[in-house]
Amino acid sequence: MNEEIIQIKGLTKRYGYGDTESFALKDFDLTIRRGEFIMIMGPSGCGKTTLLNIIGLLDRATSGEYILNGEDVAGISARRKARLRAKKIGFIFQNFNLIQDLSVLENVALPLVYVNRPRTVRLKNASDTLRRFHLQEREYYLPSQLSGGQQQRVAIARAIVSDPEIILADEPTGNLDSRASISVMEELKSIHEEGNTIIMVTHNPALTVYATRVINMLDGQIATDIKTVSDQNLPQKIEVKRTRGKAKKTRNSRRKR
Amino acid sequence: MAMLFRTHLRLALTSIKENRTRSFLTCLGIAIGIASIILILSLTGSVSKLITDEISDIGADLIVVRPSTTKDSITTIVEELTASNSFQKSNLAISDVDEIKKLESVTAVAPIAITHSTLTDEENTIPSATILGTTVDFNTIEPQTFRYGGFINDKNHENSVVIGPSLSLHLYNTTNPVGRTLLFHGERFIVVGVMENNDASINFDNVDFDSALIMDIKVLEKLVGSLQVQQINVKVATTSDLEETSSKIRETLIEKKSGDTNFTVSYGDDISHPASALLNIISGMLSLVAGISLVVGGIGVMNIMLVSVAERAHEIGIRKAVGASSSNILMQFMFEALILSILGGILGIALGYILAIFASSITPFAPYISWQIIAITFLTALVVGVIFGIYPALKAASKNPIDSLKHYR
Ligand SMILES: Nc1ncnc2c1ncn2[C@@H]1O[C@H](COP(=O)(O)OP(=O)(O)OP(=O)(O)O)[C@@H](O)[C@H]1O
Ligand SMILES: [Mg+2]
Repeated sequence: MNEEIIQIKGLTKRYGYGDTESFALKDFDLTIRRGEFIMIMGPSGCGKTTLLNIIGLLDRATSGEYILNGEDVAGISARRKARLRAKKIGFIFQNFNLIQDLSVLENVALPLVYVNRPRTVRLKNASDTLRRFHLQEREYYLPSQLSGGQQQRVAIARAIVSDPEIILADEPTGNLDSRASISVMEELKSIHEEGNTIIMVTHNPALTVYATRVINMLDGQIATDIKTVSDQNLPQKIEVKRTRGKAKKTRNSRRKR
Repeated sequence: MAMLFRTHLRLALTSIKENRTRSFLTCLGIAIGIASIILILSLTGSVSKLITDEISDIGADLIVVRPSTTKDSITTIVEELTASNSFQKSNLAISDVDEIKKLESVTAVAPIAITHSTLTDEENTIPSATILGTTVDFNTIEPQTFRYGGFINDKNHENSVVIGPSLSLHLYNTTNPVGRTLLFHGERFIVVGVMENNDASINFDNVDFDSALIMDIKVLEKLVGSLQVQQINVKVATTSDLEETSSKIRETLIEKKSGDTNFTVSYGDDISHPASALLNIISGMLSLVAGISLVVGGIGVMNIMLVSVAERAHEIGIRKAVGASSSNILMQFMFEALILSILGGILGIALGYILAIFASSITPFAPYISWQIIAITFLTALVVGVIFGIYPALKAASKNPIDSLKHYR
């Protein structure tokens, strides 16, 4: 059985004090195993983005316990958080969040800058990842020259290029039509089948067919939590031999299994 | 670390290239400040070089006696500059020349006394010509090159004069007036020599020889009455006598003036000292102005960097989300500011030397290039980059990624 990768206990996020006090998350508990594909649903303002930002170490909780991969990350330094973001977390956003001045290839290679890979390795890894998403002909395009669906696939490539533990996606299909949504979801599905952990926020109930677990939130707390796949049947992480500083392994070789 | 260094360097260069016009204008702000510093340093360097070169030309066997020991103070220098007749308070006398000449190991003594007076010939009148009174020894100590004729000598010094080339043109409308006469204080003098153009308006005698008339000091004193001796130049037999002879001169003069010590006896590099002191004050003031323009340039860098940070808030948010630490972001923007100011510095050094070369074509000051000047100005540009780049970079580094990601472009 896969190990628990995220343990959250009593997490609270408060905004404001006194009269303006409000809670985005209230005494929130959640345990996530490696290989889960979690979809978080719930009405606007119930705290989904806040939860994702805290899990992704972009935001800090007011109180509560958060153990990521066995490491208590509640009180760690900003530098350590940046390191963990670079190595263990991949973000996918609703509005893609690509850097407009950089080419598609450089955007995908961006996370590798902050884990100190040499430029040639960065570009090689990024290129391999883009090929997997059938975007190799678009390497030297600027993001503005791509369709929304293509941009989101570039963003997914960026999220997985440094082989993170967890992929966090905040309404990744929110800006896309149904066809583009399906292609994005198919990509996420294949990433999940390789044993990656994905936490995704969505407003579209039709997409929950991809999930192994669906969480409904209300006012900063969990309303319902349903597992559609048992813990025993979660996909196993495919061990990849990634040589530091050398771009030996490619995503293609991983896919073959 | 070295890898991040290179990555940030590339990043900064890309961002500078993308905003070419803006970056160029920012560099220009720094460049103008640096260029003015280069120009000032080149000019002052060239002036002091002119003076030292002249002294080594004349020979190392020169002693100069000047009035007043308080030349270094700013007030004296400013007084001298503003007074219509410089060295009004000179306590040197023509009779001192004879006293010095009596000392052994002294081979030649030439006083320098300047006055301004009207010169006339049949056609032209020069209302306020520079008249230099000296002795025949003058040409021994500072040998002049003559276009026509020669210097006054022991036989003709009572009624002969030597003139500079531009005075010759003004007075006679010709370059060769040797043998012609001129009227000065009612007396008629014969021109026996015209000097070659020497272009050295800055020299240790403080005289523009090109437009001066040189005559015997005793004849001059008889005609104009009182004269101020602005300095006495002394030539010694050998350089080993310099120290001993100058102290002898000092003793003799103090004794003759019954204890008055308001004069200096200098040799070697010290001769250029009064001129350099003035030079230092002027260059100090000019540097202050250049420094202010550099601060303005630095504020330009800061301004552009702040704009850049605000414009790229979204980019900063993305970079932080994918794993950039605050110090990564700090470095990225710091590099950009540093490169802007280094480019500005290089541009300024080039611009400064072009200006210095241009200045040399209209003044006698050749551009003076030394690695010290380049090092100092380059370092200054670097320091400006650090000082004015650190605040915007800190601002970028401290941006909250969640807020930054909300900035749509
Ligand atoms: N910076 C902030 N200051 C004050 N309140 C905030 C701030 N950010 C979020 N909130 C509040 O926290 C609550 C949860 O916000 P959050 O963005 O997590 O909602 P969400 O579930 O993602 O909504 P949506 O589905 O619309 O994206 C909201 O009530 C919001 O007003
Ligand atoms: Mg949200």
